Amino acid sequence: MKKRHLSSLLAAAAIAALLPLLPVAGVAQSDAKTGKGGKGFGKQGKTEQKDTLTPSGPAPKMSDGKPDFSGVWTPGLSFTQMGQVPLQPWAEEVYKQRRATLSKDDPEGHCLPAGVPRISPFLQKFVQTPTLLVILDEGNIHSYRQVFLDGRKHLDDPGPLWMGDSIGSWSGEGDGGTLVVDTKFLNDKTWLNGQGLPHSDQLHVIERFTRPDLGHLNIEITMDDPKAFTMPHTFTRTYLLRPTWEIQEYVCNEFNVDADHLVGK
Amino acid sequence: MTFKFRVALITGCALFGAVAPILAHHSFAAEYDSTKTVTVKGTVSKLSWVNPHAYVYVDVKDASGKVTTWAFESLSPNALSRQGWNRNSLKPGEEVTVEGYMAKDGRPLADGSIHANSRAITRSDGRKVFVGSSADEVPSK
Repeated sequence: MKKRHLSSLLAAAAIAALLPLLPVAGVAQSDAKTGKGGKGFGKQGKTEQKDTLTPSGPAPKMSDGKPDFSGVWTPGLSFTQMGQVPLQPWAEEVYKQRRATLSKDDPEGHCLPAGVPRISPFLQKFVQTPTLLVILDEGNIHSYRQVFLDGRKHLDDPGPLWMGDSIGSWSGEGDGGTLVVDTKFLNDKTWLNGQGLPHSDQLHVIERFTRPDLGHLNIEITMDDPKAFTMPHTFTRTYLLRPTWEIQEYVCNEFNVDADHLVGK
Repeated sequence: MTFKFRVALITGCALFGAVAPILAHHSFAAEYDSTKTVTVKGTVSKLSWVNPHAYVYVDVKDASGKVTTWAFESLSPNALSRQGWNRNSLKPGEEVTVEGYMAKDGRPLADGSIHANSRAITRSDGRKVFVGSSADEVPSK
């Protein structure tokens, strides 16, 4: 567990150093200085981080007064943050094996879906109607989630699904209300993150979406997995609105030569 | 490596590479060696604007005139476009210097080009293009 914590810290440090590459602050400004003839490239130069792209203002509402989550969102650094997931011993061993082989078998490297609640650093587009929320993923592969808001129940055992079966309901909690999304029937092929945190087909995910203002979307995520975790685990993500951006094509299998060169050690 | 004339392969612990960069669909550390850095000077033969990563092909000529082609994995086209680049940002024949990381398996791509990952590409006038490396969300160690 301590090693995992250290990995998270290192990952956070790496991400902080490379923030300009993420679609957080828009066009990257880099003044990286390159070293030559030494043992490496030298340290990346400092870059000012000022978010000038996230708008301010009141959160929009649907005609029925419910929060409207529509828009193009960047997860920013959220895609790496999951905290300490309490794994059972067998799952801890799986995780260690995936770390030891440097995530070479990550399904995403083979252009497979991320599953839930894993996300990529790419954009997500939310399209909301009174009875349906659609989440369009630009990457890792083009994929989508349908969150049904029409009062229906979960499917009757549809078999393991890559993105699960998601049912939404409204709660009065939070500023302006909360959308509670219940997702089940996920397969055990996906990883929870790029480091290889595993889960089973008993993973049950509850996401609580709130929009405190125009530019921010908060998601509190609780994962429970009686076959892989020792207890439920909750963490949060914050997405940032990008009102002038659009999701783009990202056809992962077009030229995925990486799959043949992922050797691990 | 025998590219003494225009290529310097530098092996060591790259400060920058001590932690892997981000933004790829695959594990950086599983494919590239952050301690095997390379600096290549040559001419662009092709910019392949493809998913999930654009590739920059660079021809390097040694003293005898023999040309070797390097293929540098870059960011994805959508990520590059948000940095202000497009498929015409590098043109065939343009002189560039590319800093990057070697592939771990040492095998060329199917077309025979040397396989590496680009961190930064600098034009002859010193301006940088395609700054950034594809990689992932985990540390290399």
